[in-house]
Amino acid sequence: MAEIVIDVRDVSISLGGHSVHQDLNLSVTRGEVIALIGGSGTGKSVLLREIIGLLKPDAGHIDLFGQSVLDSTPEQMNALRRRFGVLFQDGALFSSLNVEDNVATPLFEHTRLAHGTCRQLARLKLDMAGLLPDDAKKRPSELSGGMRKRVALARALALDPELLFLDEPTSGLDPISARAFDTLIRLLADSLGLTVFLVTHDLDTLFSIIDRVIVLSEGRVLGSGTVAELKNIDDPWLRDYFAARAPERENAHGN
Amino acid sequence: MTEARAYYDEAQGALIVSGDWHAETLVELPVLPVSPVHIIDGAGVTQLDTNGAWMLLAAAGREVSDPLPELRAFQPQHQAILELVARHSATTAMEPGPSHEGVLALAGRGSLAMGKHGLGLMNFIGHLSVELIYLVSRPSQWRWREFGAQLSAVFVGAIPIVVGMLFLLGVVFAYLLGSQAQQYGANIFVVDGLLLAILREISPVIVAVLVAGRTGAAITAQIGTMKVTEEIDAMTTLGLSPIAVLVIPRVLALLLTLPLLVFIGDIAGIVGGMLVTHEQLDISYYVFVDRMADVLRLKTLLVGLFKAPIFAVFIALIACRMGLSVARDARSVGEHTTSTVVQCLVAIIILNAIFTVMFVKLEI
Repeated sequence: MAEIVIDVRDVSISLGGHSVHQDLNLSVTRGEVIALIGGSGTGKSVLLREIIGLLKPDAGHIDLFGQSVLDSTPEQMNALRRRFGVLFQDGALFSSLNVEDNVATPLFEHTRLAHGTCRQLARLKLDMAGLLPDDAKKRPSELSGGMRKRVALARALALDPELLFLDEPTSGLDPISARAFDTLIRLLADSLGLTVFLVTHDLDTLFSIIDRVIVLSEGRVLGSGTVAELKNIDDPWLRDYFAARAPERENAHGN
Repeated sequence: MTEARAYYDEAQGALIVSGDWHAETLVELPVLPVSPVHIIDGAGVTQLDTNGAWMLLAAAGREVSDPLPELRAFQPQHQAILELVARHSATTAMEPGPSHEGVLALAGRGSLAMGKHGLGLMNFIGHLSVELIYLVSRPSQWRWREFGAQLSAVFVGAIPIVVGMLFLLGVVFAYLLGSQAQQYGANIFVVDGLLLAILREISPVIVAVLVAGRTGAAITAQIGTMKVTEEIDAMTTLGLSPIAVLVIPRVLALLLTLPLLVFIGDIAGIVGGMLVTHEQLDISYYVFVDRMADVLRLKTLLVGLFKAPIFAVFIALIACRMGLSVARDARSVGEHTTSTVVQCLVAIIILNAIFTVMFVKLEI
């Protein structure tokens, strides 16, 4: 059961002459919904880019599904890429394609299905991501920020990956959409058996759908555990982090 | 990896499905004798994801409004996925793709677009004039630094290509002219022809074309990308006028530098021609220069230099306007940059034709 899906061992990287991670270790098992948190500039996005193979660390090992990301041949890497989906922070939609074709692109490329069927499946994913059928023919430039995120989620889910990476999925969404997005992620994780690795600042996300939180600080993993366990860690940043958001939460519940 | 299979069992009245149902194992849907099917038996399904579930429901001939068929013997997680997909199945029919247009429709669309570009350019010139009048009385608001940066980008960077291009054109032109003139013993007239062609036509037009491709495209791409990243909007909210900050320095820089580049091109072209006449026709450099002093009239040079600033204004205006009208996506930047170069070339050729006729009529 406890198959390790992401395994990061002793990873170090420096960018622009300044060290981002030193001997960073973390692992994620199948079916977990993991959040990565940390202050600005602690290298959360860098770590995400390393895991998905966009950035090569100076030292260390990164395995996905037991296969090394760093030593794979391009073919092995492509096969690996089909098993995970990525939602970039600003959506990163292809601006020359409409919404439906954006979502259908992975299906066009990696399956033998007819294009009409791919588009139907794209519609299904769009509906699962909470978009209306009318949006399918729009261009990315005609969408609001929240809608772009949903389209990007639909695209990340197009090939039904086992592992989903989300870079700040709820930033830029209104609270109602953000909670709906969280629920959607949790629902998909549970019903499809997805492993979810998300980078977030959203405390509501942490409290509602996350199994385990990993805290990054000064280039290392400061700790990991449930939100309740993290509150016991004595770290100034972590204390401020929870303290800064606590009053807001109470107000939100009071209304 | 087992293949996705589905067949209809008459005795049970059920669709029996088995195997791995996901996007990579699926090719097309089986055709069933009965549609829609009311019972689906999934005992043999080993894997099922949402793509597979959609295909499975589609295979059963289920319409969106139909109730979910009875799902028999599915594993609980597969049942959950099927229910999830059934809830989210698309609620609208696919519309047909765009139909192909005939030549007439394309020509009409093209003409409309050209008309729109013409109108847009007029509108832009209007805006620019208002802004210029406003700036004339406020010299402190001129962007001298930006103007200087543009001067160096437009002028200094373009010198090597202008010199190289015009030198080679001078060589080619003198060579062709020389091989004709030699047959009639009219060697010395090659100098006359070369001067007239380079100074009056070749240098201004070729330099304008080079600058349109080099600087015009760069201006549109830069301003267009600034539009995409909302820099233009930020500028406006900070109380800076994009026309004053971006457009006017570029227009002025091109206006000032294109005549200079044409003059440099003139010299390069003449030098190229001089080398060829020396080698091919035995006209020494001294004789060439002497002949040049005899036949070259100031107005030949001035005609070329007069055209340059007018080409420059059109290139700058078209490039800036196209940059500012970019929509917020990458494709639009590419389209507008292409359109800038095409519009500039068309403008240069049309203007040059007008000038040529005009100068002949005015007997200049």
